[in-house]
Amino acid sequence: MTVTSRLEQVAERVETRRAMLSRLLDPDETTLGALLLAPAAVLLGGVIVYPVCKLLYTSFLDLSLTSGAPARFVGLANFQQMLEDPVFWQATWNTILITLITVPGALVVGLGLALLANLPFNIRWPVRLSLLIPWALPLSFAGLIFAWFFHSEYGVVNDVLNRVGLPGAIWFNSPRLAFAAICLTITWKASSFMAMIILAGLQTIPRSLYEAADVDGAGRVRQFFEITLPLLKPTIVVALIFRTIAALQTFDIPYMMTGGGPGTSTATLAMYIHQNTVSFLDLGYGSALAVVMFILSMCVTAVYLRMISGREGAR
Amino acid sequence: MSATAISTSGSLLSGKPLRAVAAVILIVNGLFPALWILLTSFKTEAELTLKPITWLPHAPTLQNYMQAFADQPLLIFLFNSFMVALLSTALTLLISVLAAYALARLNLRFRGLIMSLIIAVSTFPLVTLLVPLFETMRALDLLNTWTALILPYTVLSLPVCTLVLTSFFEGIPRDLENAAMIDGCTRFGALFRVVVPLSAPGVFTAGILAFVNSWDEFLLALSFNSNPALRTLPVGIQLYQGEFAFPWPVISAALVVGIVPVAVLIVIFQERVVSGLTAGGLKG
Amino acid sequence: MKFARLASLLWCGAVLASSPAFAETQLKVYLSSQGQPAVWRKALDQFEAHNPGIKVTIELGGATSDLQAQYLNTVMSAKDSSLDVLILDVIRPAQFAAAGWLSPFAGRDLQSYLRPYAEANTVDGKVVALPAFADAMFLYYRKDLLDKYGLPPPKTWDELAIAAKKVTEGEHSQDLQGLSFQGKAIEGAVCTFLLPYWSQGKTVVEGGKLTFDRDAATKSLALWKSFAEAGVAKKNISEVATDDTRKEFQAGNVVFAVNWGYAWALSQGDGSAVVGKVGVARLPAVAGGEQSSCLGGWEWGVSAYSKHQEEAKKLAEYLSSPEVSKFMAINGSLLPTYAALYTDSEVNKAAPWFADAVPVVRTARARPVTPRYNEVSEVIRTTVNAVLAGVTTPADGAAQIENRLKRILR
Repeated sequence: MTVTSRLEQVAERVETRRAMLSRLLDPDETTLGALLLAPAAVLLGGVIVYPVCKLLYTSFLDLSLTSGAPARFVGLANFQQMLEDPVFWQATWNTILITLITVPGALVVGLGLALLANLPFNIRWPVRLSLLIPWALPLSFAGLIFAWFFHSEYGVVNDVLNRVGLPGAIWFNSPRLAFAAICLTITWKASSFMAMIILAGLQTIPRSLYEAADVDGAGRVRQFFEITLPLLKPTIVVALIFRTIAALQTFDIPYMMTGGGPGTSTATLAMYIHQNTVSFLDLGYGSALAVVMFILSMCVTAVYLRMISGREGAR
Repeated sequence: MSATAISTSGSLLSGKPLRAVAAVILIVNGLFPALWILLTSFKTEAELTLKPITWLPHAPTLQNYMQAFADQPLLIFLFNSFMVALLSTALTLLISVLAAYALARLNLRFRGLIMSLIIAVSTFPLVTLLVPLFETMRALDLLNTWTALILPYTVLSLPVCTLVLTSFFEGIPRDLENAAMIDGCTRFGALFRVVVPLSAPGVFTAGILAFVNSWDEFLLALSFNSNPALRTLPVGIQLYQGEFAFPWPVISAALVVGIVPVAVLIVIFQERVVSGLTAGGLKG
Repeated sequence: MKFARLASLLWCGAVLASSPAFAETQLKVYLSSQGQPAVWRKALDQFEAHNPGIKVTIELGGATSDLQAQYLNTVMSAKDSSLDVLILDVIRPAQFAAAGWLSPFAGRDLQSYLRPYAEANTVDGKVVALPAFADAMFLYYRKDLLDKYGLPPPKTWDELAIAAKKVTEGEHSQDLQGLSFQGKAIEGAVCTFLLPYWSQGKTVVEGGKLTFDRDAATKSLALWKSFAEAGVAKKNISEVATDDTRKEFQAGNVVFAVNWGYAWALSQGDGSAVVGKVGVARLPAVAGGEQSSCLGGWEWGVSAYSKHQEEAKKLAEYLSSPEVSKFMAINGSLLPTYAALYTDSEVNKAAPWFADAVPVVRTARARPVTPRYNEVSEVIRTTVNAVLAGVTTPADGAAQIENRLKRILR
């Protein structure tokens, strides 16, 4: 074998290697797609899909660690138990009510804040800071702080009411007031992010549209409803959906503020799941409750997916 | 987008006095709770039970801060929170950039289905997965590590970041990418040298969203990392609470220590956060 | 490749290190973050000194009994072996034993302990945990104010209400409350409910069977509600947690307070307005009933998943010994679980009030003993809270408790 032919062989091998490499780096669409999506799939599979499957399975079991008895398959018994469980109904109703109140609430407040923040301020950072701080504040911190705000004796809310001549209230003594305080806190916490997204949306609306409207003699209110709002709609819809899903999972704020009280009147579904699983160790019933929550979330997701695909179809 | 080009006539109001009123409303709404905690952190426990309550501390004291640092390793909590948030943000960005590119650029057969799956999966409340996740982490021997939090936090932010980035990538003209590929870039090269830099505001927005999500989380952090040296801030704050006692001034001091770094970050990056959202990130 | 070899080397090292010939046993003790870990650490140092070859580390859990239970529930239900010895609230051994999380002390005799603790740690005839320290609910009262109005410490709740009225009216102080107790939906509210209920001679659970008496329950809830309505307790009593009672009493704003033992040392410490003005007595009875108190305190359990059963039991025995009990009484003002220590001269010098405490602890009653205690507790505390907040009437509240308990203890 001559030196040249060996060299040729080596060169050939290098060539095939390079081809393999480039195929690896530049594969066809499907392989590439699979490759790109694989990390996300592995992670979602391990952290969500596998535990969810386990949860679904557990929801058909009578599995309470406090009984010491082994798990027993009971079919739909856990779901049947739910129907007769007043706390479940109360918690579910509270969750839905919180969603129905705080989602539009956060939208309206957020829209207001965004419109205010969109004014031409000379120094912008204090305004932005005041939108961003409530958002970056952990929910558990917000719950703690507002629990302190609404304290009937040492809280600042009653103090302000007293100062303007109104009687203070014992907020956490009444289901309605406690519920109102919780909704207020959630709205406060959620509205800042809403405001930021809307503010971002506002700033993409071309100025020329308003100038043209000015020429046409449209007033500011009309401009708002005919230009601003329609153009903001896509932004708002997405923000609303994410907000709705988060609202269905409400846990930290009522947990910190009232712990579900007085009685069980401000408990949410997430709190009840947590209680059944972590405190009562009734894994079967807890899992069944979780499945119900999952179904609720899926309903919202379905609406969302429909909206997205609807828009894509229109594209 | 520069500040001067920002449209202002979208608002209903304008004029100087109105602007002043607006600023007051915004600042009181956004900063009062934090300010109140700041004031409380300078009060003594005795002053807190005075009636009527005091607004400004009578005899401001730094005692609560000293106690906050003495009672618990507060700086370690901060460091853990920060590192876990940072690492999970990095991982989220890496994975979601890849996934978003596939969804935005490739002709995938099941694109709609994949999108739906990613979103659907994200709606499963993590509260409900506590016990199965704990078992998984234990099986993988990950309890009491940063990884035990980084993985679920990454999953927590993955869907929303993927959505944000997908819509950003869709906004980058294909021509630019093709040109890069003709110049000898591979697809990956084009992705990381052209698409990602051009989507910088979106990547930044996604990163901020991921960071705040991790920074915020309480329940998993409470359950997975019991070693004090690995606890994060929201969990650490709870430790100031006693079996019966609830020392408000000390907790306030600890809260302030927890809020300040984020506030500083926000002041530095505020322009970018808003402009990132502006560029159409969350339009789905 | 390199990495794999490194890993296998490390693995061998770990195996070698854990084999008994080479190294010491590592034990991990689970403690409450607020349960004076620094003082316990000193006791553990002693143990290490006497047992070369065993090293003990402390793991701190959540601050409140509820948070600790949640954490332990997660860890133990995953069968985690990292914890060896656990400190448990007195209400937990039954649940932990039923779940199979505790490894029993075979043949252990608990007679040397105060009787309520011997009972609380025995489940189905097996000793499942050993007492750590004692506690009970006490009636704290303002000795100076009662003396001023010539009143003895009340023996019944009616007497208490009358005395409270007399003092608060005489003092003309807006801030002075007659009675402070726990109305918030916390564990303390379970005791709130049980005190007058027990005093009527009733029980909730006996031998795992529900023995609930609805009339006695109604009477108990109505009693507390009447205190709030008559102005003996304050209107927002449904917001009051254990430490609120302690703080307000300590600030001099309360004549009578229902609280655990921890409040004593604080009421005689820095920043207290009532130093030297406080008395401690047995809690009152309902008219014609017997005085009763609610048993508190903590126990040492050995995790069934611990890989060092023998050493862990040795440690639990040590921590539960008279020596450690005495050490903790003197250095941590924790009530001892041995009767003899209450008359020990060194203990009495460090905590003179223990002499008043011992009859209370001795007669204190345990909250319902059932594996499903967490659910029982939840039902009772939320109902007490709801009644005090005026959401339900005492009669409806009692009916709700009965219905829900029936389902839990079926």
